Amino acid sequence: MLRYISRRVLLSLVTLWLLATIVFLITNVIPTDPARAILGNTAPEASVIRFRTQFGLTDPLIRQYGRLLKGLVTFDFGLSWGTKREVWSLIEQPLFRSAKLAALAMAITTPLSIFAGLIAAKFRDRRLDRGIVLVGLATSSIPEFVTGALLAVVFGVNLHWFKPVATIPPGTPPLEQLQYLILPATAMTIAYFGYIARMMRAGTIRALDSDYVRTAAMKGMSSSQVMTRHVLRNAIAPTITVMSVQVGYLFGGIVGVELVYNYPGISQVVLNAAKKKDLPVLQVAVLIVALIYMVATLLADIIIAWLNPRARLELGQS
Amino acid sequence: MEHMGNEASQGLHLRGQFTRRQIVGASIAIPAVGVFLAACGDDKADDKADDKADTKTTGVSGDSKGGTLRLATTKPAGPLDPIAMDDLGSYNVIAQTFEYLAGAEGDDIGPSLATEWTANADSSEWTFKLREGVKWHDGTDFTADDVVATLERIASAGDGLGGSLPTEDDPDAPPPEGDASPAQRLAAGTVTATDGLTVVIKLGASNASLPYLLCIYNPQSAITPKAFAAGSTLDGSPNGTGPWKLDSYDPTTGAKFVRHDAWWGGKTPLDGIDMQFFADLGSQVTAMSGGAVDAIQQFSVVGGDALLSDTNFNTVEVQSATHRQIWFGFDEGQFTDQKVREAFALSIDRQELIDTLFSGRATIANDHVIFDLYAFHDEGAVTQRERDTTKAKQLLADAGFPDGLKATLNAVDVQEIPQLAELLQSQAKEGGFDLTLNIESLDTFYGTQWCVSYPCAGSAELGIVDYGHRPTPDVYLLKAFKSGGDWNSSQYSSAELDAAITEYQASAELDKRKAAAGKIEKIMWTDIPAAIPYRYNNLGGFSKTFTGVQFTALGHTLLGKAAKA
Amino acid sequence: MTDTDNILQRSVAERKQARRENWRLLRRRPGFIIGSVIAGFWVFCAFFGQRIAPYDPFDYRDTKQLSPNGEHWFGTDKIGRDIFSRVLTGSRDVLLVAPAAAVLGVIFGSILGIFMGYYRGWVDNVLSRIVEALLALPVVLVGLLVLTLAKSSNLVIIFVVAVLFMPIVARTVRAAVISERDLDYVVSAQLRGESNIFIMTREILPNITPPIVVELTVRIGYAIFTVSTLSFLGVGIQRPSPDWGLAISEGRDVLPANIWWLVTFPALAIATLVIAVNLVADSIQAVFER
Repeated sequence: MLRYISRRVLLSLVTLWLLATIVFLITNVIPTDPARAILGNTAPEASVIRFRTQFGLTDPLIRQYGRLLKGLVTFDFGLSWGTKREVWSLIEQPLFRSAKLAALAMAITTPLSIFAGLIAAKFRDRRLDRGIVLVGLATSSIPEFVTGALLAVVFGVNLHWFKPVATIPPGTPPLEQLQYLILPATAMTIAYFGYIARMMRAGTIRALDSDYVRTAAMKGMSSSQVMTRHVLRNAIAPTITVMSVQVGYLFGGIVGVELVYNYPGISQVVLNAAKKKDLPVLQVAVLIVALIYMVATLLADIIIAWLNPRARLELGQS
Repeated sequence: MEHMGNEASQGLHLRGQFTRRQIVGASIAIPAVGVFLAACGDDKADDKADDKADTKTTGVSGDSKGGTLRLATTKPAGPLDPIAMDDLGSYNVIAQTFEYLAGAEGDDIGPSLATEWTANADSSEWTFKLREGVKWHDGTDFTADDVVATLERIASAGDGLGGSLPTEDDPDAPPPEGDASPAQRLAAGTVTATDGLTVVIKLGASNASLPYLLCIYNPQSAITPKAFAAGSTLDGSPNGTGPWKLDSYDPTTGAKFVRHDAWWGGKTPLDGIDMQFFADLGSQVTAMSGGAVDAIQQFSVVGGDALLSDTNFNTVEVQSATHRQIWFGFDEGQFTDQKVREAFALSIDRQELIDTLFSGRATIANDHVIFDLYAFHDEGAVTQRERDTTKAKQLLADAGFPDGLKATLNAVDVQEIPQLAELLQSQAKEGGFDLTLNIESLDTFYGTQWCVSYPCAGSAELGIVDYGHRPTPDVYLLKAFKSGGDWNSSQYSSAELDAAITEYQASAELDKRKAAAGKIEKIMWTDIPAAIPYRYNNLGGFSKTFTGVQFTALGHTLLGKAAKA
Repeated sequence: MTDTDNILQRSVAERKQARRENWRLLRRRPGFIIGSVIAGFWVFCAFFGQRIAPYDPFDYRDTKQLSPNGEHWFGTDKIGRDIFSRVLTGSRDVLLVAPAAAVLGVIFGSILGIFMGYYRGWVDNVLSRIVEALLALPVVLVGLLVLTLAKSSNLVIIFVVAVLFMPIVARTVRAAVISERDLDYVVSAQLRGESNIFIMTREILPNITPPIVVELTVRIGYAIFTVSTLSFLGVGIQRPSPDWGLAISEGRDVLPANIWWLVTFPALAIATLVIAVNLVADSIQAVFER
């Protein structure tokens, strides 16, 4: 197990390096003029030139690439071009906010969709199952920004149950923050519930159909015992994988929701930095989100391996 | 404020013999600083503290109530650098903490840090009398030295008030790199403090509009203390004179302000302001109608339906010169012929634009920038251009386009402009123009369609660009229409107009100014460097649980007199 | 006639047979029928929407923001255009961009996947790392980044979405190729001395068509979603297109005034199209995996 983990961590480091390279390429292959974008159209040429030298924009690309890698290793990303503040200081809080919202959405979605998936599988092809599958398909087909906007108007503006925007004043105690976050989190739950429930349903059906479950049932175990001891354990593996993938999607899908609720998360950082061509901020922000996704999938693989030693072998090879 | 006529007459006799009033006058019913009429109480006792040491406020309603106002504003676009900032979000943060020599008053400017200003006969030398008893947030006294230091900074780091301040090379500055222009400093003797509270400014050329360059409508002229270092940001050293001390500032979420107890305007009824930053209008409207904020800095009629129909919401409408210019390329393209430009202008149904885009909260304009809200507007100079699609088609045929003309209308994706472009496309079709739309985001538009290279060459042949409010049309004229102006996207060049602009600028008396303005109107109306279909009113507003929230024509929210109802 | 031709011809015949059988099974599935009809309707609208629309979606002006009524079934928008007509024509751009992006993404991904699965070894190892790195990039966020840095156009959107979809397709195809490459027909082709390119394209590719087709339909669904999201964010399809994502972002600010029809109808249009594509994808998957 330890060997497996260390191997995976090592490979992840290689992936991270490739990722940094890819992100560096993306941001540099598109022709942009950051100095002009940041200083404005009417800035005199002199200050534009000064800006370029100050931030090393005239350095050869390989040097700029080296700076990015060095930043990743030392976790000191230097100064933002647009705001002249520390890059990390611009990303830290928004990232934390996005993570908070994503975590809340996951916390609501996970039990709900696992439960729904189990129920659907248990009542396979019956009306309840059909209903769950259909609802899941329908809700995951409506973009989360639409659901978000509708929820904000119905429960925020019209009913006044929750805050219609997620502009949490600094220093708000965590429980009160729920007032602001519950609607965006619900919008995301509605969007992702269907997909996870479907995976859970499929996993459960596969497990129910498998030989060992049949044997266990024949040996006279009660159906709830079979469910918890065998089915759940085997059905949950693909669900965990899906959920780890969802972490990535959450950080992507969160973009529309953050916009609708004016939640100053990581997507606003990316949008603003892209507008200003503030490449250091852009690179680090995207890299950090990708890193979170990588860590999530890594953890998921480790959990699966721990749950099911057979899977470890297969995973180890990929 | 609520007693316009009253205030205007007060302003007249209280200030020196040569005040802006005499040039501009006040004639508009809706003031440029608006307070919702029903929302403000009683009598003129709560008018803004006027000149002298009159700082008493009887408060709109009991001072004791206190409380905090939550204000939705547009997120500042960049660092709060007093010179480089160029967006309303930044301006509004600054306006809480910092002040200007002249402030907003009625539809014009009025005393703020300066109580009166006078000029010599040819408006080349100006004397500003400063207010007594003003304190910086750190407790020190505000003096003439602070104003001199501010103007020196503006001369060395900025454009020196649009080039009005005479400058010379700075021998102490580090040698410039590349083709850099030499560092500048204020020419000796340009700005002098003749005593602790008097500043004299000697200009290189006559400028009857100087106070407008030192007022709240030129936000880069905010007065900072002597110790303020050029290049630092205003949130980094937020030592101002305004009613609100900056308590905390986060560029992504918002700013908190607390009362400045020693403000010259008296004790503010509110304890503080909680300013929340928003990325777009949709969430601001949602927040306001859902009660998550108490006031909204600015909104538009398009998309503002929820607020306009909300009975718990005071809409504050302020006359402003904010307008759109549909520019035509003079240097090349299909619009070089005056007939084609006139045909386009004749295709526009201005009333329909105003009805659809503003539900009537706008005023028809006549393809020139001497708008009716300026006192020197000459209404007799030209007749209002009315829609005439038959004539438009005839003109197009005369210009060599008997089957109509195909062109791309470029527009920036800001406020109502996309909808304006779509309506224009539809209207122009009836005049013989087959328009394709190219609507670009704010971030790319100015660099690719409008003024691609400095000073403003390479613009598209046809496009819509936005212009914010100015209390006088000087900036529009000098930058957008004068030969070589750095926003002159039409590449328009008319010796006649240039002469008229110079004449206008040098004319201090209303009659002369009006005569020059009439010439400008006529030239612009005839040549049509840009079609200007309307100017519209600035909209802001606040919850009825508050009173006394003020809005300027440019979009500031002034909260010194705001109180809980 | 040589042995090779014989084998090839037989496998071609077998595949034809299998295709007919799949098609027969597909037609029996209600999900496939419903999905195809709805998706077909939107494709029809993409081509002929402007002809069947009751009003000109671009150049029609009535009272603005009329609620749905007998004349305007879906109401009118901010400048008084008929929303029903705009929803009908609104599928044009997204149905051009999204499938094109999905097809391109599947082509890129399949090529990469076949290479990885066929060569294995260091080729696979290196490419797998790259694929894994690309996989970690959040699609919408990177789309937002690229389309903001570069000027947005339909071509750029297609390319960006295609590249972002490539790694996940590559992973699926690689797995399929790995399970094929040790089978007899591949080994015998290698023994015959066929070139690697020939084996990959003529031998393996036809046999892994099912997972590729499934992947394609699934990706089309995601692409529609992604493109709509990017349009909503203002970096995707540009005005004055009646595109649905764009229409939602335009109508969002009047929702608090309970003017719901500007957002709801385009949103339902997106939902029906995505559901339809998913129903088709599910049916194809079920038939192939039977």
